[in-house]
Amino acid sequence: MQLSIKPPLTSKAYEVEDFAAAQEFFHSRGWTDGLPVVPPTEAAVEACLEWAGMPPDQLLGIEPVRTQPITAEKLAVNAVMAGCLPMHFPVVATAWQAMMKDEFLLHGVTSSTGGCAVLVIINGPVRLEIGASGTFNALGNSDRATSVIGRAIRLALINLMDVRPGEVDRSTLGHPGKFSYCIAEDEEDTTWEPLHIQRGMPAGTSGVTVFASLGPRQLMNEWTTDPKEILETFAAEMRANQLHYSIYGGNYVIVIPKQLRDIIQGAGWTKRDIAEFLFERARVTRGEWAKVGKGSVVRDRAGKVHPALQSPDDLLVVAAGGPAGGFGAVIPPWMGSKTRAVTAAIGVCVDCEPPKP
Amino acid sequence: MRVLDPTNEMKATGVVLAPRLASFEGKTIAIITNAKEGTKGYFTHLDRLLREAGAADVVWREKSNYSAPMDAHIVQELTNWHAVFTGVGD
Repeated sequence: MQLSIKPPLTSKAYEVEDFAAAQEFFHSRGWTDGLPVVPPTEAAVEACLEWAGMPPDQLLGIEPVRTQPITAEKLAVNAVMAGCLPMHFPVVATAWQAMMKDEFLLHGVTSSTGGCAVLVIINGPVRLEIGASGTFNALGNSDRATSVIGRAIRLALINLMDVRPGEVDRSTLGHPGKFSYCIAEDEEDTTWEPLHIQRGMPAGTSGVTVFASLGPRQLMNEWTTDPKEILETFAAEMRANQLHYSIYGGNYVIVIPKQLRDIIQGAGWTKRDIAEFLFERARVTRGEWAKVGKGSVVRDRAGKVHPALQSPDDLLVVAAGGPAGGFGAVIPPWMGSKTRAVTAAIGVCVDCEPPKP
Repeated sequence: MRVLDPTNEMKATGVVLAPRLASFEGKTIAIITNAKEGTKGYFTHLDRLLREAGAADVVWREKSNYSAPMDAHIVQELTNWHAVFTGVGD
């Protein structure tokens, strides 16, 4: 008979009287995002770790600039606080591993005055297992899973990296996605290739894409059935972002809900076709800055062309949104190509099953 | 109810600062800037003060990405200088 010894948790523990006392205890120490948190008990944290098959001291990564180690136990504490169930934790852990890749530039994106948030995009079978919805209110609080996973990303930034407003977080404005910014692709209702597969993950896997980004810019065009005209509206929104925010090219996410998606994919357009079209159409000249009050920085380079995408590969097309409405959204990068979207496959434990409830 | 500390209790070890210079007289001082607009006036003024204080030379280096750590080629140069000023501007 084999005995299994559960490794102990090592986080400092505190006694609090009850749920209400726990709230004041956590708020008073700057450990929250201002909303109530789920008290992270040992049992709840251990359940997350067991589900993911991770020992408490498993090192998920080291933040490259400030060399802060991120362990499974500490991330699980924050995930519990955000409201995560154990089945949500592997998504949170994979997202954090992706965020610690050099090209994501975690310290830069979380400390910048630019005030971006980490957008998490979930793909693959895990969406259905955890109930992550890619339909109604996709960019809002569409479901429990995306709400708490997005919140866990931010709470962990606050508590593990000191990304609190006025401390490491120097955002001038920020945006509401800093509470929670997570969507799932509506893979069941599209003919398009899922985002994570398009970005190199193996077929059959689940994946997470993280993208340091601004708030979504919503657009509307329900007065045409021509894919090019619809995509012109997306291109115009990208150009507007270039002129009003940052002119420099990088990753962009566009979210295409069903009504517009049906027209575009019905005409035979793939995600690649969309990317190539927008690569050509979403570009401005530096001289156009003069039309939006930025004439002083045009200098002698008025004719220089700035594409929003450095290549068609920079565009991340996500099929998501409710079934009706000719809407779409453009989600711009924090700052050109200084940060890159990162996609990672969610780890699978091939010889084990999650513990029975 | 027993609750767990959510903060990072495994703080990374910091770096040890070099000993403070007794004066700038005859020294080579570097200014490493993130190249944002707001740094220009500040560091230009600092450059003048350092030269008035007797610095033999004041060299400037710009980071290629203002939100990332300094480039490797700048790090390699660090041993050429007696002291470095760095900071961010917006």
